[in-house]
Amino acid sequence: MTLDDLAFRLNDYAGEEGTTFDALVTEQGILEVVCSNNDEFPISVTMTETQILSVTPLFALSEVQPDQRDELNATFLRLSPAVPLSAIGLQGDTYILFGAMALSTRFEVVAHELEVQAENTIDVLEAVEHMLA
Amino acid sequence: MGVLRDMLTALRGGASEVGEVIVDANAIRILEQEIRDAETAIGNAKQSLTRMKSAEIKLKREIATLDQDAGDYERKAVAALNTGEEALAAEVAERIAELEEERAEKAGEQAALDAEVHKIHSMIKARERTIQKNKRELDKVRTVQELQRATESVSKNFAATGSSGHRVSKALERVKAKQQGWQDRMEAGEWLEGQEAGDDIDAKLRAKGIGTSGASAAEDVLARLKARKSS
Repeated sequence: MTLDDLAFRLNDYAGEEGTTFDALVTEQGILEVVCSNNDEFPISVTMTETQILSVTPLFALSEVQPDQRDELNATFLRLSPAVPLSAIGLQGDTYILFGAMALSTRFEVVAHELEVQAENTIDVLEAVEHMLA
Repeated sequence: MGVLRDMLTALRGGASEVGEVIVDANAIRILEQEIRDAETAIGNAKQSLTRMKSAEIKLKREIATLDQDAGDYERKAVAALNTGEEALAAEVAERIAELEEERAEKAGEQAALDAEVHKIHSMIKARERTIQKNKRELDKVRTVQELQRATESVSKNFAATGSSGHRVSKALERVKAKQQGWQDRMEAGEWLEGQEAGDDIDAKLRAKGIGTSGASAAEDVLARLKARKSS
């Protein structure tokens, strides 16, 4: 399955909970997906030789209240194991929610993972919203 | 050896500026070269393994033939002894001794080849482990690169939309408002369904003459009036 295949099928698919997808491969070869259950935080999907990676940038380090940074990091470490299918990380100066799947993952499972990631984004952000500037 | 530590060092060194690839391109080339070298070595080893194996099979066959011949001569020597041909038996015994010497030589060769085959086998296994390990390392590097590209692809909008502050809060509010909208519509849909189902039941009851149809109400009233009149 290539990113183009994935985009094509996502645009024509509705998840079990009725989520629909708006998928587009950018000129840089990144698949940007907007899920209907959360259209404010798009997901970037990309592939390596072994994995499909899905990334939702949450916010920049500069958006965190300076005196809350340690608390935020500790909160994320505590939260991460409780978040289904997604992990929380720091990419450069950007906090991200991300998922990793084997390249052989079935399409329906990829779609479900994206749907859950979009939902997780809202949950995670709600939990730390008060620490943001 | 592990690339994770190198990447962490690069990150701590502040090499995480947007657009900057944090992993040394050289390190990737070295990993890729090592994988190619190991694959070539395995290819060569497998070829010589095939050659050795066929040589070993040939030796085994020759040894079996020698064993057979020696057995044959032994039986003949015994037969010669039984008929009192002592001199002939001695000649045959000499021949048997030659065969046994030849057999021992070939058996030694076979054992050496066998050991060599084993050595090459374990060498191939070790190379394959190297390949797998390097591929995993390479995938870590690629993962970081792809995460970086993917993050930049969407978060480049942060600067534009986030300048007014509370970007996340506002986005969350909008998402939640939309979700509330769906929830409301869903509840409205359920309510409507309930209403329609209720209407259905009333209609069914009326069809069976159960409930408050106009006719039966009039009959009820008449019956009540008659009852009053008679009392």
